[in-house]
Amino acid sequence: MSDATASVPRKDNTTRWLLLPGIIWMALFLVTPILMIVYVSFWTQTTFNISSDPTLASWKQFFSSDTYIGSLWTTIRIWLIVLATTFIVGYPTALFVGLLVKSKTLSTVLLVICVIPFWTSFLIRVLAWRPMLGKEGAINIILLKVGIIQQPIEVLLFTELSVIIGMTQIYCVFMVGPIAFMLARIDRNIIEAARDLGAGFGRIFWKIIFPLSLPGVVVGAIFVSVMVLGEFATSGALSGRKVNLLGNIIVTQVGSLKWAMASVVGVILTVVMGIVIAGFLRIVDLKREL
Amino acid sequence: MESRVLKPILGVYVAAFLLFLYGPFVVLTIISFQQGPEGGPQFPIIEWSTYWYKHIFGLTPPSRIAPLPVGEALFRSLVLAFMTMVTSTVLGVMAAQAFRKRFKGASFVFYLIVLGMMVPGVLTGLGTSLLANNIIGIERHWYTTAFATHVAYTFPFAFLVMLAILNRFDASVEEAAWSLGVSPWMTFRKITFPLIFPGVLSAMLFAFTLSLDEFPRTLFASGRDQTLPLAIYGTFSVEIHPNIFAFGVLTTLFSFALLSVYGILMALSVRRAKKMAMQEDIV
Amino acid sequence: METAVFRLDGVTKRYGDLLALDQVTLDVGVNEYVSFLGPSGSGKTTLLRVIAGFEAPDTGRVFFEGRDITHLPAHERGIGFVFQNFALFPHLTVRQNVGFGLAFGKNPLPAAEVDRRSAEMIAMVGLAGMEDRGVDQISGGQRQRVALARTLAMQPKLVLLDEPLGALDANLRGRMRNELRAIRERLGVTFLHVTGSENEALAMGDRVVVLDRGRIIQSGTSDEIYDTPASPDVAHYLNRFNLFDGTLADGQFRGQFGTVAVPGARRAARDVYAVGYDRMRVLPLSSSADGPKLKATFVASEYLGSSIMNFFEVDGGGVVEMEHHLSLGAPETYAPKQDYLLTWNPEHAIVFGREAR
Repeated sequence: MSDATASVPRKDNTTRWLLLPGIIWMALFLVTPILMIVYVSFWTQTTFNISSDPTLASWKQFFSSDTYIGSLWTTIRIWLIVLATTFIVGYPTALFVGLLVKSKTLSTVLLVICVIPFWTSFLIRVLAWRPMLGKEGAINIILLKVGIIQQPIEVLLFTELSVIIGMTQIYCVFMVGPIAFMLARIDRNIIEAARDLGAGFGRIFWKIIFPLSLPGVVVGAIFVSVMVLGEFATSGALSGRKVNLLGNIIVTQVGSLKWAMASVVGVILTVVMGIVIAGFLRIVDLKREL
Repeated sequence: MESRVLKPILGVYVAAFLLFLYGPFVVLTIISFQQGPEGGPQFPIIEWSTYWYKHIFGLTPPSRIAPLPVGEALFRSLVLAFMTMVTSTVLGVMAAQAFRKRFKGASFVFYLIVLGMMVPGVLTGLGTSLLANNIIGIERHWYTTAFATHVAYTFPFAFLVMLAILNRFDASVEEAAWSLGVSPWMTFRKITFPLIFPGVLSAMLFAFTLSLDEFPRTLFASGRDQTLPLAIYGTFSVEIHPNIFAFGVLTTLFSFALLSVYGILMALSVRRAKKMAMQEDIV
Repeated sequence: METAVFRLDGVTKRYGDLLALDQVTLDVGVNEYVSFLGPSGSGKTTLLRVIAGFEAPDTGRVFFEGRDITHLPAHERGIGFVFQNFALFPHLTVRQNVGFGLAFGKNPLPAAEVDRRSAEMIAMVGLAGMEDRGVDQISGGQRQRVALARTLAMQPKLVLLDEPLGALDANLRGRMRNELRAIRERLGVTFLHVTGSENEALAMGDRVVVLDRGRIIQSGTSDEIYDTPASPDVAHYLNRFNLFDGTLADGQFRGQFGTVAVPGARRAARDVYAVGYDRMRVLPLSSSADGPKLKATFVASEYLGSSIMNFFEVDGGGVVEMEHHLSLGAPETYAPKQDYLLTWNPEHAIVFGREAR
């Protein structure tokens, strides 16, 4: 090689070629579909057909319908409740697994035990709540046998409650994992030092442990939010069509070929998602927590 | 820490948590042994039997309850999960490798990729089917449109796993290989890849299981031929029978088998290097 | 330079605000052994990484065997590199490590030839019989030899050593030093050796290059550097001089040891009086002598193989060291906490000052 060719800086394109396939894939199959939803939400819908003539008809229909607006509020309500229940159920568990259990093996074993249920199909896990919560379900049978109740509780299944119970069970592990991970990273010496200074557990918890575990809580909350907001199967299977989330509306609209209306609901859902995720990401920089 | 008080209380709490987590699965397993074909998916158990397991494999005399349409669906799901696994792992390794260098727009690309796991499946599924139906005008299939959405979902997971692995990778072994005159590509094949292989296995496992159980994206994007979760979803609208629970038990066992294979592969890849070293360990 | 195998021409490298290399220019001849000495952060390692091609310089050129290799990727340079942490391939055996470049490099050799050549190299570094061990199954010193054998197997004309002896204990370090010298005499390789140890630099190098804050502050043979350090900083890094602050005026240096006539001084940014550890003399407190005098308390002594080092604490604070070579006779013993008088022949002192020519 002559001096002339060697002395010219070679442009290093490796980074670009490594990233390009992934970027193209995400642009085509993630970003474009979402833009497509926005686009189609302004299309004209006739009974069995759809045309690209722009109209606000579907949007007007959404905001003038109590059913649709109602489903928006239901979605937000269920989301907030499940966020709270998964946190209440998950945080103490994470505290035990991530911080209180001294043996690393036991802590790993406990985490694996938490993950095992995921090896059953999601839909079958949802369905399993039916014989659990029903009038003649396992919970009622046990409660009757123990003598806590005389009459079977009927509100357990095919209500909003059953949807919340089902979602809590299915999604709480996504809360436990990230929190336990952050708790396990806390330097035990800090806690020891605080205890030497005479701080009680309550004080140590609120001043040290909880703030340090907060990124885990936020990551867990993002996971749970993403999944609950997009849900429709759990509410479909456990509420007996009484709970209609935005996801359920999309499914029924698509089922009756109302693509424009489904798209409007899709846009609403995207906006809600965007606000929620952006809000959480303000608290925690996801990239730095890795 | 007042662990003497706190630890037992939390211990009990965790036990209750596990009961809550496993309760439905226990019930599901019990009901799967319900008598058939008259016994329904509820208590009490009329009589213990393996009727519903036989029913899945078509070993029972014909009855009014149709067998689960799982045969072909299972095959499709496995093929789809395999395709998704390979594609998203390759994309994930490539992207994570690129992220080892600083480059302009890294933050943007990071969030573009991670977006894939944040956008609900309903939305990507709906959008993709709109795109296929109304703009491109192609038919939706599990191996085209559904495959595309699956990869857009699992690629971020593979990417994050590989990113975590490569963050801890000591780059000096690569530089050492270059200084021996070995090209960057050969270095990747012979040095980097073998060393990050455990991470690659984890990424593959993630992608495979996520795809196998993926449902909302597939529902919209897969067209006529059903995958396994769709076949199960189909039973939601009609009456459910204990056969679906028996099937749940079987798929769980299958998953465990898969997990064991992963565990064995993992142990082997760790031991392979060790074994070489042990051979001449005389001194 | 006609015989230069390797040349750096005004090489500058920045990391953000940090100037790691500042206009470094250097010629290295065939079969030369150059030691780079400097404190951590002086740019030594960056210099090697730029030469190896792991980093690109911001400005300046790198020439090797008459070619401009400034922008040539590392794997096309044919320059060997031995890492501080050895960077062995953890999933490969000793044999596979040593044969790696031969088997997968630019001109891959047939398997039999790879085996023959790597066996040769392994034997050369004294590891015969360990070919099939994993690299986590051998000791630190053996790992260092594998790293060396792996690099030398490619028969590079230039080998860069990044503190490869730093990770070894003192005993091993001495042995590896001898081996490196022997290898170099046998194979005729040019070595550039970065080290944080002044002893290593002075002992190993035909030439010692002292770096500070990204610049070369002195370059010369070991003797030149030792006898005539170019600045107080160099004298400091060599760790062989007692340095005294004071003022140089009208050919006289005034310090805590009194005022002493200075025959000649070197120009420097500050006034410093340097006396080699081995030039110090210890007298009883009662003795009277002309010239520089320093009252000091004996603290401790330490054997360093061929010499003994005595440590004294000066009244005004600060430690003065005195080295006694055992070849010059049995060492005197001093009583701890006892005061002594330290002195030296002013002609042996090296003086730096703003006033100097």
